[in-house]
Amino acid sequence: MGRLASLATILLAVTGLLLAGRPQGTPPSGTPTGSQQTTPLTEPLAIVVNRSNPVDGLSLAELRRVFLGERSHWSNDRRITIVMREPGEAERKVMLRDVYRMDEGALKNHFLRGLYTGEILMSPKILASAVGVRKFVFYSPGAIGYLRLSDVDSSVKVIRIDELSPEDKKYKLRVEARPAN
Amino acid sequence: MSAPENHEAVQRPGRLLTLFDRFVNRASRHNVTISLVVVLCVAAIVGMFVMRDLQTANTEAETLYLVSVQGLRRIGELQFDTQETRRATLYALTTNDSNLQVEYADQSREADQRVTQGIAEYRQQAKRPRQIELADRLQRDWANYLPLRDEVLALILEGSTSEAVHLDLSGGVPSFERVRQDLNEVKRLYDEEASQRVSNVEATSHRSAVRLIGILGFAFLLSSAAVWAIQRSRMLSAIQLAKMQMEFVASVSHELRTPLAVLSSAADNITDGLVASKAEIQRYGKVIQNQSRQMKGLVDEILLFASTEDRKDRYLLQRLEASQIIEAVLASTRELIQEAGFTVEPRIEPDLPPVLGDLSAIGQCLQNLIGNAVKYSGQSKWIGLRAYTAPAEHGIEPEVRIAVSDKGIGIERSEFESIFDPFYRSPRVSSMQIHGTGLGLALARRIAETLGGKITVVSELSVGSTFTLHLPITEGERVAMPRTSSQARPSAST
Repeated sequence: MGRLASLATILLAVTGLLLAGRPQGTPPSGTPTGSQQTTPLTEPLAIVVNRSNPVDGLSLAELRRVFLGERSHWSNDRRITIVMREPGEAERKVMLRDVYRMDEGALKNHFLRGLYTGEILMSPKILASAVGVRKFVFYSPGAIGYLRLSDVDSSVKVIRIDELSPEDKKYKLRVEARPAN
Repeated sequence: MSAPENHEAVQRPGRLLTLFDRFVNRASRHNVTISLVVVLCVAAIVGMFVMRDLQTANTEAETLYLVSVQGLRRIGELQFDTQETRRATLYALTTNDSNLQVEYADQSREADQRVTQGIAEYRQQAKRPRQIELADRLQRDWANYLPLRDEVLALILEGSTSEAVHLDLSGGVPSFERVRQDLNEVKRLYDEEASQRVSNVEATSHRSAVRLIGILGFAFLLSSAAVWAIQRSRMLSAIQLAKMQMEFVASVSHELRTPLAVLSSAADNITDGLVASKAEIQRYGKVIQNQSRQMKGLVDEILLFASTEDRKDRYLLQRLEASQIIEAVLASTRELIQEAGFTVEPRIEPDLPPVLGDLSAIGQCLQNLIGNAVKYSGQSKWIGLRAYTAPAEHGIEPEVRIAVSDKGIGIERSEFESIFDPFYRSPRVSSMQIHGTGLGLALARRIAETLGGKITVVSELSVGSTFTLHLPITEGERVAMPRTSSQARPSAST
């Protein structure tokens, strides 16, 4: 059983890596290609922090370290609090794919192991809605989270990733747009 | 105190009372009007005072409600919201669910915004130095508490519960306690203001009650005084009337006794055979005739006065020439005048217009005036009889006036009105042993007024008197009468 579980984890990780390495707008396997292929609309996924946070930008690698809990404090010595959406949400999937580059299981294991070993001080805070994320980041000076750019308002600060702001065309973190009502 | 001084002291209240009685007598002629005016004035004054005091009390009550009650309510809301701010913060401690923690943080923040706004409003409305100082302190203490609250919330959200509790106990609780004390002080200030306002309302109410009682008491006293004065006036009038009636009875008795004594004496002499000759019998007969006529005249006068008591028009009005009236009067009084040895000087204006009247009544009226002239002329033995016209002037219709003048003892000015009262006898003429019933002038005035005219008098002591009978000119003749004031003669007045 132990071998089977390890094999499954490896398979999932490989699948996740494969998925993460796929270019944006690429449809998942099994979707039509060629002239029948349609490019789904996307919108930027902004990384937000509290307005009092002195950080204005991070590299993608630094962002990954932060979200993995490998970096525990900001430059102002404020402890970092990771804010995430619930599993299954599109924004979380993008983060798993583009930032964590792992699946839910691996993420869970990572934090369990980190908390157990003391390398990670606190597991991510899970919020049920974008509004919840925004408010949490607003109330907590050390919080960092992610929001669709359309959910961002002036109560939080959007930071640049690899010197790119979400409005830039080359901005890498993009989430599938919400279906129009 | 000497005897005269003592006497004067006793007399002074009596004089005052006499003056008061005179005033009341004059006022009582218009007592109904005066009473109504007084009552209306008093009611209006009382109403004005009561309305003013009610408005004052109402304003005080409104101010009390607006300032104190609403202020207390606002402070109550502020106290609730400050507690809500803290309560929501502490609720966030009780859960690990980040969604609930955010919800509690939201509740705390909404409450703190209401508090901040409420404090700002209180600061804006603060006027007195103590209020301003308190508002500033509350604003400062609340501003100091909020960052601590935010930090506690942040620690809770980050999961640092023990740090959050520590920070709340070390900083949040004392800071919040200061805010709570500030609010209690504000509430106490409002309580003091409310107590002051209540005291003001009570003072106004008490003042209103005192004023109302005072004014009503004054009105009651005034009304009582008016009723007492009117009653006293009526009582005095009744006493005076009774006195005059007694004097009248005495006077009539005297007037009847004198001719009766003459008649009795004449009858005794004839019965005793003391009157033998025909000439003496004729003389006695003449005396009896005169005395009987005098008695008849007296009785007729009393009966006539009694018959005119109801002032109903029993006269036969007809067109009368002034000369016709004068002739009739002179004829009816000729014997009296001759016996008294008087000279009558008639001055009749030519072409006098006719008047509307009853010859017998006018004759009776003028006979009374001539009779008085004979009675009160003293030694002058002169009577003037003048008839003339008076043109229209000052709203008075043209009229014929017949004036009877004498050069007798005259009348005091203060008695001008009283001499026309029934049974009135001037103390001066009574003391001069001039007899009379006190009905002559009253009867003459009644007759004149019943015929649409009037009697006026002009008199001066020891110089003489002139009584003038004013008679309206018949309707048809008025048109022809000139209305120029140049022809006006000085008319007598009462």
